[in-house]
Amino acid sequence: MSFGRFLLKRTLQGVVVVWGVVTVVFLLRFITPGSPVDVVAPLDASPELRRQIARELGVDRPLYVQYFEYLAGLLRGDMGYSYLSGTEASARVFARLPATLELTVAATIVAVALSVPLGVISATRRHQPSDYAATTFSLLGISTPNFWLGIMLVLVLAVQFDVFPTSDRAFGFLESVGHLVVIAVDGPLVPPGEGTRLVVEFPLDVGAFGRTFTTWLSYIVLPAVTLGTYFTALITRLTRSGMLEELGQSYVQAARAKGLPETLVRYRHALRNTLIPVVTVVGLQMGTLIGGAVITEAVFDWPGLGTTVINAIQQRDWPILQGSLIVIGVGFVVVNIAVDAIYAYLNPRVVE
Amino acid sequence: MLSPRTLRNLKREFDRSALAKVGVALVALVVFVAVFAPLLAPHDPTAQSLDDKRLPPLGFSGTENQTTTERVNGTVQVVNETVTVNATADHPLGTNALGQDMLSRVIYGARTSLLVGLLGTLLAAVVGVPVGLVAGYVRGRVDDALMRSADVMLAFPSLVLAIALVGLWGRAAIRVPDPFVVAGLAPGMPRTFTLPGTVIVVVGLVNWVWFARVARGEALALRDEEYVKAARSLGASDPFVLRRHVLPNSATPILVLATIQVAAIVLLESALSYLGFSGTELSWGFDIAQGRDYLATAWWISTMPGIAIVLTVIGINLLGDWLRDALDPGIEGEGGGGA
Amino acid sequence: MSGDGGSGPAGRGGGRDPDADAGSGAGTETETGVGDPRSRDLLRVRDLSTRFFTQEGQVNAVESVDLTVRDGEVLGIVGESGSGKSVTALSLIDLVESPGRVTDGEVWYRDPDLAGEFPAASDGDYVDLRRVPERVRRALRGPSFSTVFQDPMSSFNPSITVGEQIAEAVEVQRRARSNPRSTRSRTQGYGLGQFLLDSVVPGRDYADEASHERAVELLEQVGIPDPGERAEEYPHEFSGGMLQRAMIAQALAGEPDLLIADEPTTALDVTIQAQILELLRDLQEERGMSVVLITHDLGVIARMCDRVAVMYAGEIVERGTLADVFDRPTHPYTEGLLGSIPDLADPAPRLRPIEGNVPSLLGEEMGDRCYFADRCPKAMYECLSHPPEYDAAGSGEHAARCVLADHEYDPAEALPGGYFGGESGDPTADADPGGDDRAGPPADRRTKNAPREGGDGD
Ligand code: SF4
Repeated sequence: MSFGRFLLKRTLQGVVVVWGVVTVVFLLRFITPGSPVDVVAPLDASPELRRQIARELGVDRPLYVQYFEYLAGLLRGDMGYSYLSGTEASARVFARLPATLELTVAATIVAVALSVPLGVISATRRHQPSDYAATTFSLLGISTPNFWLGIMLVLVLAVQFDVFPTSDRAFGFLESVGHLVVIAVDGPLVPPGEGTRLVVEFPLDVGAFGRTFTTWLSYIVLPAVTLGTYFTALITRLTRSGMLEELGQSYVQAARAKGLPETLVRYRHALRNTLIPVVTVVGLQMGTLIGGAVITEAVFDWPGLGTTVINAIQQRDWPILQGSLIVIGVGFVVVNIAVDAIYAYLNPRVVE
Repeated sequence: MLSPRTLRNLKREFDRSALAKVGVALVALVVFVAVFAPLLAPHDPTAQSLDDKRLPPLGFSGTENQTTTERVNGTVQVVNETVTVNATADHPLGTNALGQDMLSRVIYGARTSLLVGLLGTLLAAVVGVPVGLVAGYVRGRVDDALMRSADVMLAFPSLVLAIALVGLWGRAAIRVPDPFVVAGLAPGMPRTFTLPGTVIVVVGLVNWVWFARVARGEALALRDEEYVKAARSLGASDPFVLRRHVLPNSATPILVLATIQVAAIVLLESALSYLGFSGTELSWGFDIAQGRDYLATAWWISTMPGIAIVLTVIGINLLGDWLRDALDPGIEGEGGGGA
Repeated sequence: MSGDGGSGPAGRGGGRDPDADAGSGAGTETETGVGDPRSRDLLRVRDLSTRFFTQEGQVNAVESVDLTVRDGEVLGIVGESGSGKSVTALSLIDLVESPGRVTDGEVWYRDPDLAGEFPAASDGDYVDLRRVPERVRRALRGPSFSTVFQDPMSSFNPSITVGEQIAEAVEVQRRARSNPRSTRSRTQGYGLGQFLLDSVVPGRDYADEASHERAVELLEQVGIPDPGERAEEYPHEFSGGMLQRAMIAQALAGEPDLLIADEPTTALDVTIQAQILELLRDLQEERGMSVVLITHDLGVIARMCDRVAVMYAGEIVERGTLADVFDRPTHPYTEGLLGSIPDLADPAPRLRPIEGNVPSLLGEEMGDRCYFADRCPKAMYECLSHPPEYDAAGSGEHAARCVLADHEYDPAEALPGGYFGGESGDPTADADPGGDDRAGPPADRRTKNAPREGGDGD
């Protein structure tokens, strides 16, 4: 089987899973006590009013009709309208998505960039102080609830020493990059083609960009560390034990015997094979990362999907809740297909 | 299930590894504290005392700026004063914003964490293991269906799913009479202990997938073992083979997974109660959330319960490492993560 | 010690008829080297000891081993699994892994350039590899020593193509040649930065195009059909025999002076074994390189070797030319291996199983006696103190670590059967000298036995 066909097969499986996700999310409303009408209707609403509301919300029709309408809507990108504000659910959800993406991507980068070297150092300097430090760190990391870690970071670095802002980011990454462009725009900010020219002045105001970017960075550091720590610790542990196992394999000895420099033996041979199982576990644990993002957002008042989900649950705003859950589920599936692709790339045997 | 050989391996690994000893000691400590909470706690953890609010832990006496309003001769005056708050031996870990004793709350919190952890894991295993064993043993369509539904389950982060279910189903709580108090051994302690019922059910339902995966893997492998084939060829019924041969021989990996799961569920429970999705207020996560607003003035409210969680989870993880190293079941890094 | 300095056997015959070898060929001592007779020695190992420091105690895997490898000869090391023969090989190339360590000894390698560079560690043209920095030993792997391991499937990285792995071996030598100073550093001029660049930048790779082409050439030389296509395949797509050929190709990448083949055929089918041996033989003759062949299979020894060293419990217990050892075995262990009647016509004389197990080699349990005494049918009271190496024939070429090489067996002096704790063969069991009939001859322990041979490395 070629790599392309492998990817195609995984994508089809992913579509099936996404369908399952949508179905579960849809059915969630029907296994929950209470009716959507209660959310919208005033407490003293008359039966006629309640019926009217039900009709407007579309929840008076048979389940299968609602289901297919919902599916059809999703295919058009329509997730319904918020029960409370009446805004388009998809617009709300996708407005919140970038903040969550920023957070998870930053945390993943932190985690991968720290954990793999840490695991390798730990394994290659076994029973040395650096190994003990790394194993202690990873044990603490997988045992610490991240919301508490976040609070402790805020306590020490924001409240006590005022190094970072406490919460509530000022703007997103795109906006911070956007500042660069905005500064360079000549004239009022209206879309191009409507009378204004977009003039980029040279030299670009790099200083201003630097300032906005630093501000953005200062807001994301604590949440990213909070979210990334568990993952860093987990991957460090896996890398260490996997690396120890691989370094004991005969092919490593054979690679040394043919004169390869230790760098090559360790990274190109042992680490590569170590990462194969690590990649699988990381894929499986992606849910933990997204779940962790939800609570990290709550700790730092981060305006992402997690806070959206929590608010939607509390308000029973079903379209928003369903939309957010589906986006999270699809995100998980997409990430896992990507992980599988990496896995297949690293380990050619699975494509067979 | 625990053969002499297994026990010997456990013993050898225990003697060899200092970390295993630490893990067992920590877990023993937490279990002890949880069981005898009413006898160990110095105060009723729910008793409020506004005079004693936000007392610092021993060794952290300090000053605090207090702003109070006073009515003097009919006019309201704002009084700013710096008062000294002294730690007292009566509240070694200080008190929270309601004047509740932190030490007592930390002690009672161990009960909630462990009970949710153990009962949730039990439920997850009871649901997941049979499903996984049957799927791996029967294979074919049943197996495919299971694996796809497991994929769907995994697509929801367990925390998100748990929040949704607890939030939507309500925070049912079960009040269990406290045997020590009923027996009159611990006067002044709460007569009942509150179990967060929905949380237990939800964490169980959210985590059954991990058990199903491991049990399925074992069943797949064991099905091809000679003795299982032999039993089948002798006409043993499938349920008999499953119960008699497959289940006992999958026990080791399931046991190790269960240990990891207890740790994961303790973390999950603390996250749920931090977010307010719990049925009890006697929970470490709840207290951490309570302290969130007082970081600048009373750091200990959030700090103390967090340390308790970390120590508990470290203990369980070390216990899990010990079992894994001693029994070598070949699972690693699976089994749900922390919050 | 004894055994070196003598003239070497005229080992370079054409056909390798085992009978001819056993009969006369290998044993003749005709060609005497001109000048320093040592100049025919590529490698002279003195007193080499390797220990493993395990939790159960110290294991003396290799103990005071002396070996000489001459130019263009095939030296066989034979012994049961656990006898220390593989560890000996790894010790030569400094690849013993923790918790093991080479603790003692000298490994003299003939390399005038190196000897000039490290005068403190050299003697004439020879340099003691134990006393040069580790990076130098590392740099010798490939161009000086290379290794063929027992199990090709586990000796290739499963997730890299075979051609790529051979190309790596070619490339590392090419880089060392083009930048000799790179061999002076730990990473040999290939650091983490380069590795990251190679992994990230498309089309960039460690081994260049020429090295890949050379890899294909090497595959062709070891008789792999369609070498160009096979080079693109992964190890699991190869059969065991083909993969072993590929490993030989990889070992040849650096044009080594000495090839160490550690049980090269044990993991293979019998018919494939013969082909691989033939290939090794041909390559060795073509290139005139020296080969150290480690095996438990006497048939392989008989076919391939000029000289033989027999290992037991970490020691070399007997060594000499093929004819010396096969026709005139002196050590009872060697006799046991060969069976009572050495029959070299037998195409595959396997190790004759000998009663008991190879001792555990735990330092504190070995005691001071002859290590073989508990299994030896001719053990005598004097064997309770460790025998030195005796010159068996006075030629300096054939030596054995056994009192029988010095004088005849004396039944009156025999240790009673069960002296070392009965049938257990366990050297740790308490000796019980009082409880037995001293006069009784040792039971013939070879009759019932637990075979201990097989494919595992040591
Ligand atoms: S020294 Fe003694 S015990 Fe050892 S092999 Fe020779 S005869 Fe046997």
